[in-house]
Amino acid sequence: MLARTAEYLFWTGRYLERAEDTARLLDITYHRLLEAAPGEEEQAWSDVLVAVGLDDEFAELGRRATAAPVCEFLVYDPANRGSIRACITQARSNARGVREHLAMELWEALNSLHLELGARDLHRDVRHQPHELYGFIRQGVQSVIGVADGTWARDDAWRFFMLGLLLERAEMGVRSLRSRHARHRPDAVHEWYATLRAASALGAYRRRYRDFDPTALVELLLLSPTLPRSVLFSLQGAEAILSDLVAGRPSVALRLLGRVRAELEFADPAELAAGDLTAVLEVLEGQIRDVSSAVAAESFLYRVDLDLHSLHLVPGDELSRDAQGHPLAGVGAAGPVTGSAAGEVAR
Amino acid sequence: MGTQWFEEYDLDGFFDEVVAADGSLRPHYRKVAEALEVLAPGDLSRAERRRTAAFRTQGITFTVYGDDDEDDTGSGTTAGIERTFPMDLVPRVIPAEEWAHLEQGLVQRVTALNRVLDDLYVGGMEIVHDGVVPRWLVLSSDGFTREAYGVPVPQGARCLVAGIDVIRDHDGTYRVLEDNLRCPSGISYVIENRSALTRVLPQLFSGDQVRPVDQYGPKLLHALQRVGPPAAGDSPTVVVLTPGMYNSAYFEHVFLATQMGVELVEGRDLVVEDHVVYMRTTQGLRRVDVIYRRIDDDFLDPVVFRPDSALGVPGLMAAARAGNVTVANAVGNGVADDKAVYAYVPDMIRYYLGEEPILPNVPTYLLWDPDQRADVLSRLDRLVVKPVAEAGGYGLVIGPHATDEELAEARAAIEADPRNYIAQEVVSLSRHPCLVDDHLEGRHVDLRPFVLSGDRVEVIPGGLTRVALRKGSLVVNSSQGGGSKDTWVLAEATVPADELEGAAEAGPEPGAGGAPPSPPTPAEAAGTDHGVDLLGAADAEPRAAGRVPQEVH
Repeated sequence: MLARTAEYLFWTGRYLERAEDTARLLDITYHRLLEAAPGEEEQAWSDVLVAVGLDDEFAELGRRATAAPVCEFLVYDPANRGSIRACITQARSNARGVREHLAMELWEALNSLHLELGARDLHRDVRHQPHELYGFIRQGVQSVIGVADGTWARDDAWRFFMLGLLLERAEMGVRSLRSRHARHRPDAVHEWYATLRAASALGAYRRRYRDFDPTALVELLLLSPTLPRSVLFSLQGAEAILSDLVAGRPSVALRLLGRVRAELEFADPAELAAGDLTAVLEVLEGQIRDVSSAVAAESFLYRVDLDLHSLHLVPGDELSRDAQGHPLAGVGAAGPVTGSAAGEVAR
Repeated sequence: MGTQWFEEYDLDGFFDEVVAADGSLRPHYRKVAEALEVLAPGDLSRAERRRTAAFRTQGITFTVYGDDDEDDTGSGTTAGIERTFPMDLVPRVIPAEEWAHLEQGLVQRVTALNRVLDDLYVGGMEIVHDGVVPRWLVLSSDGFTREAYGVPVPQGARCLVAGIDVIRDHDGTYRVLEDNLRCPSGISYVIENRSALTRVLPQLFSGDQVRPVDQYGPKLLHALQRVGPPAAGDSPTVVVLTPGMYNSAYFEHVFLATQMGVELVEGRDLVVEDHVVYMRTTQGLRRVDVIYRRIDDDFLDPVVFRPDSALGVPGLMAAARAGNVTVANAVGNGVADDKAVYAYVPDMIRYYLGEEPILPNVPTYLLWDPDQRADVLSRLDRLVVKPVAEAGGYGLVIGPHATDEELAEARAAIEADPRNYIAQEVVSLSRHPCLVDDHLEGRHVDLRPFVLSGDRVEVIPGGLTRVALRKGSLVVNSSQGGGSKDTWVLAEATVPADELEGAAEAGPEPGAGGAPPSPPTPAEAAGTDHGVDLLGAADAEPRAAGRVPQEVH
């Protein structure tokens, strides 16, 4: 498959997952705060910004982290290339760049989501029917992923799509736990319920545990081999896919991914919970990001070494240039520059 | 005839594809008309909304630039606006015998065009030496590409995909208006329009046997594989080269790659090493043998063409010259669809094939000839002026519809550079009923059939019928607000021959009374093509290479 195609598909998966995760966080936070003490609000919204990795970008705006500004920023602010709307637009734009690899149904599901989101009055929805809006986004993304699961041949195209999606989910899971970890006190049932619900893990928690137990949170959200939104589960899935992709060739990405997966798989939840979990999670986040960079270097860089013609615009160069100048480069939300070369000259 | 749809239908004196001059329905349209009969106006407009919604969801769109109008998809403004191509749901129907005539004429024309291009680029320019086409005309054409001189194309299939724009004049005669030999677009709409119509109005198809169009993808792939370089063997690797998703025809590029099951590449996905073209894949470089490119010549290779192009592939032309890759359509085809060279196509057909042209041109005046120019300038307000190298209706001035300033500009432009323009008689394009609000009104249409040159030259049944949706407009280009129609070619004769003749006699207008116009015999075509001189300069170069509209009323 074309290297560019692989890259577009990888980012399509990432952007979709990011949109869903952001919607989940906003939904949970908004509704939890309705029953919270007034002083908690700004802290809670700051946590959300940290979880999605956009706290610095938001701080630049100089606005207070309250419901309306944060939701606006994360849902549709045109200045935020990591907003839900921007993620869906970019997912769709990337998918459009590789449409010939997508089943018609998948493309239609994604395009419909894009069109319906574009037709909504987001300014109003954020204020007056946030739950409906976030539910719509979550269901919209899930239906795209569901169609992918139900119709897409398990070829390399599907693998790159899923790899992007799972790495994003793992990274988001780590950041979410890190941002909320300090809030998980035994008396703050509301808080850890919210954390669990954001990962669709509340039911599983209730079945297995009774009282608040920090080890239980780590076990479920970080180390569960059965819960689809746990970090370990996502990494195991990503590893299986990457292993199919590299098909026995030497791969730095696979080695890094296997190592971080093994560290989690054989970790002791009690030890993690008792130690400096925040520091562990920061390291983990960096490790997952390294995997993404290694995948990009191995699969998307178009074999730069063969570009001997000085006249040739080397896409790899262009990519790295863009990533540096990109506001979201640091949090791994910098997508491929869809059709940038084409855009300049296309008439 | 007393049908709800055609009771109030007004011909306004034009040749109509459906209703004959006496108000009767043409025989080949009867079954569609019967099917329409049971539909209320609301049914049609609902179907139209379903069609538009489906195209939008499926992303069957084209991109418009430099326009502040609302965005169909909400996907940003810098990248242009994605629009759905308007489609009128009342299909155009071409009876089998009419199609047979068109098909023969198109095969003949494209065969000659392939021959002339091969002659000009690798064949020693015999046609110039023999004095049929003037050397200066070829050499002064923007489309004549010196960089392509000597670059071989297997099978001589230089116009691998040709889109020939055909119109019908006031007496229903099919004429060629333009040849599009570079990157003609629109075939995806032919196929998607059909697929949409079968879904939203299946009942229309009940009576007639319509020839399918969806075999295009495999046929195109087959044709492309046939022109692979000899070294590539039996199954050359074919790719579609697109300028990228911001190109207005991007949907079509995706469509073609999907239909053929080949990679859709951008220039940056390709690299030339040692005169061999490769694509960059996740597992390294893979050789490419045939490139169906949808990028203009100018942008194809920055080494030999525009150096600022980031869309192209450096070294591609050298690889093509070395015979390691085939570029389709061939580079340099623009010389043959130059609108001034167009006037010589009938002579090319005679020269290469020894046949008389089956499809006549539209009467065309060449403006470097002082007499013709003087005549044209004296009646500019009654003629159409076109720049020779533009496509898509850009730069077109229609005399009767132009303002005084536009005419003055056209006059100045012609006087400054007469080689760069041609003038043509205004052809009153035939009309076809289209749904306007809750009733049918006539709108002008043309037809772009698609012709493939592989093992042999063949025509996809039908083509893209473009409609000038604005009342009275003659401009059908999608970039200028045109729409389209599904175009049916019927598989068999629709009515017995005796009934056909009866219908023809009933019409007050010969050739327009319900019977399709009979194909002109070679002798007729010869008679009208030669000696035609509207300007009284019979001794000049052949210039008005079309048929004079005959007064038959």
